[in-house]
Amino acid sequence: MNPFDSTPGQLTNLGHQDVAALDDAALARLSELDPDGRTGLVERVLSTYAASLDRLMAELRAARVAGQSDVVRRVAHTLKSSSASVGATVFASLCAQVEAATREPQSGAVEPLLDALQAETVRVLRAVHVRLAA
Amino acid sequence: MSENPDPVIADLAVQPRVLLVDDDEVTLMLTAAALRDRGFEVVEAGSGELALELLRERPTDVLVLDAVMPGRDGFDVCRALRATEGLEYLPILMLTGLDDNESITRAFEAGASDFFAKSQQWSLLAGRLHYLLRAARTRQELERSKAKLARAQDLARMGSFDWRRGTAVVRSTFVLSPEGLRVFGMAPSAAVTLRQLLRMVPAAERHGMMRILRDVMNTASVLTTDVPVTVRDGRQRIVHAEAEPEFNEAGHCIGYTGIVQDVTDRRIAEDRIRHLANFDALTGLPNRRQLIWRAERALEAARRIGHHVALLMIDVDRFKVINDTLGHAAGDDLLVEVARRLRSCVRHSDQVMEGALESIGSRSHRTLEAVGRLGGDEFVALLPEVSGEHDAERVAQRMLESMRAPIFVGGQECFVTGSVGIAMYPRDGNSVADLLRNADVAMYSVKSGGRNALALYTAHLSGRGREKLELESALHKAIERNELVLHYQPKIDVRSARMVGVEALMRWQRGGTLVPPGDFIPLAEETGLIVPLSEWAVREAARQAKVWQVSFGFADSVAVNLPNRLFERSDLVEHIHQAVSAYGVPHRAIQLEITETGLMRDLQNVIPSLHRLNEIGVEISIDDFGTGYSSLAYLTTLPISEVKIDRSFVRDLGITPQSSAVVTAIIALARSLGLRVIAEGVENLRQMEVLHRLGCGVMQGFLFSRAIPPDELEQWLKTTVLPRRAPWIGQANALEASETQRRLSPGAVA
Repeated sequence: MNPFDSTPGQLTNLGHQDVAALDDAALARLSELDPDGRTGLVERVLSTYAASLDRLMAELRAARVAGQSDVVRRVAHTLKSSSASVGATVFASLCAQVEAATREPQSGAVEPLLDALQAETVRVLRAVHVRLAA
Repeated sequence: MSENPDPVIADLAVQPRVLLVDDDEVTLMLTAAALRDRGFEVVEAGSGELALELLRERPTDVLVLDAVMPGRDGFDVCRALRATEGLEYLPILMLTGLDDNESITRAFEAGASDFFAKSQQWSLLAGRLHYLLRAARTRQELERSKAKLARAQDLARMGSFDWRRGTAVVRSTFVLSPEGLRVFGMAPSAAVTLRQLLRMVPAAERHGMMRILRDVMNTASVLTTDVPVTVRDGRQRIVHAEAEPEFNEAGHCIGYTGIVQDVTDRRIAEDRIRHLANFDALTGLPNRRQLIWRAERALEAARRIGHHVALLMIDVDRFKVINDTLGHAAGDDLLVEVARRLRSCVRHSDQVMEGALESIGSRSHRTLEAVGRLGGDEFVALLPEVSGEHDAERVAQRMLESMRAPIFVGGQECFVTGSVGIAMYPRDGNSVADLLRNADVAMYSVKSGGRNALALYTAHLSGRGREKLELESALHKAIERNELVLHYQPKIDVRSARMVGVEALMRWQRGGTLVPPGDFIPLAEETGLIVPLSEWAVREAARQAKVWQVSFGFADSVAVNLPNRLFERSDLVEHIHQAVSAYGVPHRAIQLEITETGLMRDLQNVIPSLHRLNEIGVEISIDDFGTGYSSLAYLTTLPISEVKIDRSFVRDLGITPQSSAVVTAIIALARSLGLRVIAEGVENLRQMEVLHRLGCGVMQGFLFSRAIPPDELEQWLKTTVLPRRAPWIGQANALEASETQRRLSPGAVA
């Protein structure tokens, strides 16, 4: 399933705890770029991702408080593609929904989505650390 | 998958260099890894600002640009690059979100080459980049080829244009390429209309040009024309224009596309070539080819209209002498001056109104009138319309007079004269070749008549010319056909009534007739045939001497006449030696006669031969003595044995007292120099008596015998001399007796 295909209507289902925070298939594709693990690409990507996730989510929280919806949208946009790249499919899908929702602020969908995103951040970071520690 | 090299990549000679721009580190890292894995050289940039900086620093084949970024986003960077010289055509792949239609549109507007929706489909991305690179290469090649074409057009001073016909609603358009603008001396960015270009054509030609354009457009045909223009800086150029019509689907001509080219230089070169082909380089006059062409046109016009044409052949008298003595440079100067003078005697036109020649009733054939140079010192004047031969004679007379004034060349004044021969159409020939030949015949008749005059051609002249030609070719064959014979005239010592030698005289047995030497010797001298003829004569004389030696004990010499040019030949002595050796007779069996005039003409060159001949025993006799201007100083030192008193003095002996005075003087001179004297042309007893009385005892002439064939000579000796039967023998005896008596008588005065 392509994570970008998700629509806001699928939101509640995707927030389910049953789905892995990091998709193994995506990670496998990632490691194909460095088959022998010689360059440690997967590790470098995951730690870079974790760092940028920390930084960008802090930025997003600040923007949320300040009501800067365009910053919120850009951060969501950036996190959407990098998350999809490392296999954080649920997180990426949430980002896409946030990005879309910020274009229609009157729908009131943004706030609940940002909450869900915050919760998913914890899950993704935990999964990344587990993976890096392995 | 990564193990197998992509065929597209393998095809590339060099690694394509990608600049990857994304603010998201993770995407940047992954995309870079994926592209490197697929053979690209990747440079990463985390922001638009950095990307612009890197692009300035290093060459990049393709830019992969994230659309949405903080700071200068992808669209901004893209627009900036498109405005940067050298990067206008850099392939830019814009990375957008999958469903981000807005970004796709904005990327297109910003000038991106293509877009790619972000995904993990790395092979798709790499493939897209390869397509982009190929398109960029194709574009580059196209640009290069366009530049090459422009350069080639520029070198050829050629440009292209495009003209669209106007309609009821749309104005016509005219576009001239920058190279085309340059042809007309305008800046590459200048705007020009067809009307403005036509205004550059000089007024005189503009109407013609407009008519051509109208005709071509009305018939939708191809345009090919050369047109003079005055370009912006005032220079005159010739522009060649060539255009083909373009048609729409309905078959209507909607405009023209074509080229304009500055052909001025080519035209100048062509004119120069034409001039070289038609005009004499030295004098600038029409050359033979041009003159013949003009003469042919003139005859055509004369046939049509019915008037006379005159051709004048003009030759500078004794030009060779001038050339030899003053040098070729002076000779050339002289020809240039003669050309200038001759030219001023006619209405000479350098240019012929070619197009007008055909029109009926036109008098444009008069522009054919000219003086031309055939080569060497030969000139021809063409008078394309004369009322009669008097017109031509008047022009010829003018030419002769114009040549008479002294010409200053080679540092000195030269006096030249000319000989002019005239041939008239239609009387003297219907073709240019006939007229030229007959003018030539007439000119030569002037030459042989003493030069510096003019002559009209007459059929009589030609007859003589033809005879001469036939004679010449027959004479060539005369030797090999054994048609030449020697006749012999005895030399008589009247005191002893004995033959003391013979003179060999050449005869030509041509068919049934005997040609006298006066009819062919001058021609032989003129053509150089005299050399083999003389050599033959020496051999034949030696042979005859041997025959007579055997048959009646002949021990005198046979005198052979040689022209002075034979004496100039270094092999003459050797030749005579061979001739006498071949027949076993002594050298003194051959005596050589050279005329006084011939001897004196080229004394310096003849003297060495005379000495060598004398050394081997060949005696030299001077013929026609008294007619030339012998230098007495030379006569005393020359190795000669005999002088022959010219027949003209002998003929007048006893008639005019002057002749006997001359003969007396010659005899006295010869005696004091120790030379023998012999008189020629003795025809009667009175002449013989006077000669004898004056002290000349050896003679030849009809009185004794004419020149006769060798067997007749032998017969003559047997029947006349030996029996002492001829009338002159009795007279000679009487003379001898009285002489003896006078010498013995005491009061006699010698």
